[in-house]
Amino acid sequence: MAAEEIKPTRSGLLLVRRRLVLAERVHRLLSMKLDGMMLELIKLAEQAARERRTLEEKYVGAREMAAIAAMMEGATGVLLAALSVETVPTYTAGHRNIFGVRLPELKPVMVKKTLNQRGYGILGTSSVIDDTADAYEDLLEAIITAAELEGGVRQLLDDIEKTRRRVNALEFKVIPELTERRRFIERQRDEMERQEAVRLRRIKKIKAKRGTGF
Amino acid sequence: MPLSGVISPSCIYACTRFRVRRTSLLPREEYLRIMQMSTPGVITHLSRRGYGQEIGDLSHDHAGARLIEKAVNRNLALSFQHAIAITPGDLKILSGEYLARWDIANVMAILRGTVHNIPRERVRDLLIPAGEIGSAQLDHLLTLTTCEGVLDALEDWRLYPILGEYHRICREKGAFARIENELYREYYSGLLSPGIARCSGCQEMNAYLRFEIDFTNMRNLLRIHCAEEACDIAVIDQTMIPGGRIPIETFRRLFGARTEEEFISIFLQTTIVPVLAEAVRELRQDPDFSSTDAAELVWQRWHQYRRPIHEVEMAVTRIRLHELDALSRRHPFSVLPVLAYLERKKYEVANLRAIARGKAFGLAPERIWQYIVL
Repeated sequence: MAAEEIKPTRSGLLLVRRRLVLAERVHRLLSMKLDGMMLELIKLAEQAARERRTLEEKYVGAREMAAIAAMMEGATGVLLAALSVETVPTYTAGHRNIFGVRLPELKPVMVKKTLNQRGYGILGTSSVIDDTADAYEDLLEAIITAAELEGGVRQLLDDIEKTRRRVNALEFKVIPELTERRRFIERQRDEMERQEAVRLRRIKKIKAKRGTGF
Repeated sequence: MPLSGVISPSCIYACTRFRVRRTSLLPREEYLRIMQMSTPGVITHLSRRGYGQEIGDLSHDHAGARLIEKAVNRNLALSFQHAIAITPGDLKILSGEYLARWDIANVMAILRGTVHNIPRERVRDLLIPAGEIGSAQLDHLLTLTTCEGVLDALEDWRLYPILGEYHRICREKGAFARIENELYREYYSGLLSPGIARCSGCQEMNAYLRFEIDFTNMRNLLRIHCAEEACDIAVIDQTMIPGGRIPIETFRRLFGARTEEEFISIFLQTTIVPVLAEAVRELRQDPDFSSTDAAELVWQRWHQYRRPIHEVEMAVTRIRLHELDALSRRHPFSVLPVLAYLERKKYEVANLRAIARGKAFGLAPERIWQYIVL
């Protein structure tokens, strides 16, 4: 039932008052949630920015290592080592809850490998291949961490936007409308009360006049 | 190869041809000139310097650094196949043994491609038929669809006995790494005892190869130490190549050394130290760098769980090649001129590849120069 549809009666007034109390409580809670989410966002955004910088550094490092590996072993040598990979690196996706927001949680699986797990023979390769593999494994881990944080920031931003819209709707529409409706009903009821008093006084006067006439 | 003291005319002829071929390789000044050129300039220059045929054949499909690498690899394969063709008698056996390294890389690429279902064209692209297994046989191997089929088709290969042992487990995880390690161990063992009683220059060649084995073992020990499974001493036995001057026991002791003094005292007894010190002296232009400093440098890397420095590895390779050149001049009609040519040709191709790739990645010329072996 919209605020306008509530009748200016005592039960209507009680209903509006109850709704107003509820709206103010929800507004207070959502405002607190918004503040909490903002604080979390700042923390997460800082972490994400730091991770992004690390990711960029690692990307530059990995590309340089790939260049050195291609110089020393040739692209063919590097590709031959890459061909040896037996277990494809992957990740598991989960989530964690922050203020009711589901933030992604990504865990790397078989990204960092030991010399045995990489699949190439130690005698057929040189240390530059190990260094390149290390650099790319680090890069992949940094990508997964950055993706987790940036995904979290995006999710949090979406939820902050939704919550802010709710808070604003409550603050600038629902609460003012309910307040206005409450005032309106109160005024209406006052008016009705006054009218009733005037009517009663008038009836009393009429009765009194009739009484004296007999 | 005849008995020492009696040199056959065919051997003299072949050695002379290899010495002449050695002089046709790119000199230092040419590398300096190439370093100043752009990639298209390098391609044009190389097409006038013996790589014209390969560049012409490949320029339709490839460009830039990739074209250079493909062309030099193809040229290397042709040069090595030609080298096997022109060497007589025992020199052919030795050349075949030496070039089996390329066969191992090709066979392993085909086996991995077959098991991991990698498109055949992609695997074909990675093969360099510079060994005894020619292009036709490699193409035949590529048509086979199972690992067992590939292994059966390699029955005539000199290293087949190793593959035969892994016939049933070739699909298991980690089997290829074990096969590859075993093949290289067998490769070195074949090189050190190629079934020839005595040959001119064989002793020097063995010394050269034994140092290569020692250096490779030391390098791999540092690599194993950096890895997580380092605590397992069995890994050392599986990955160390026997036959070097330094016994495997010394590497085990080095691996078990916990203090700087212990490590340095063991390492100083090895033959690697003087060469390493010379390499670092040359690299850093520091005449005061001593053997003890070299041992301390290795200890620092060891202690910090870090791998060998690539620039130092390249500097050691440079010194070894200079020694090989000197030996080949001292023994002009022996296996050494052949080995010197094959090694020099390998590094010419590696140098051109390094320049092309370095330029493609935008590395500074000074940085690229550190990876050039002259």
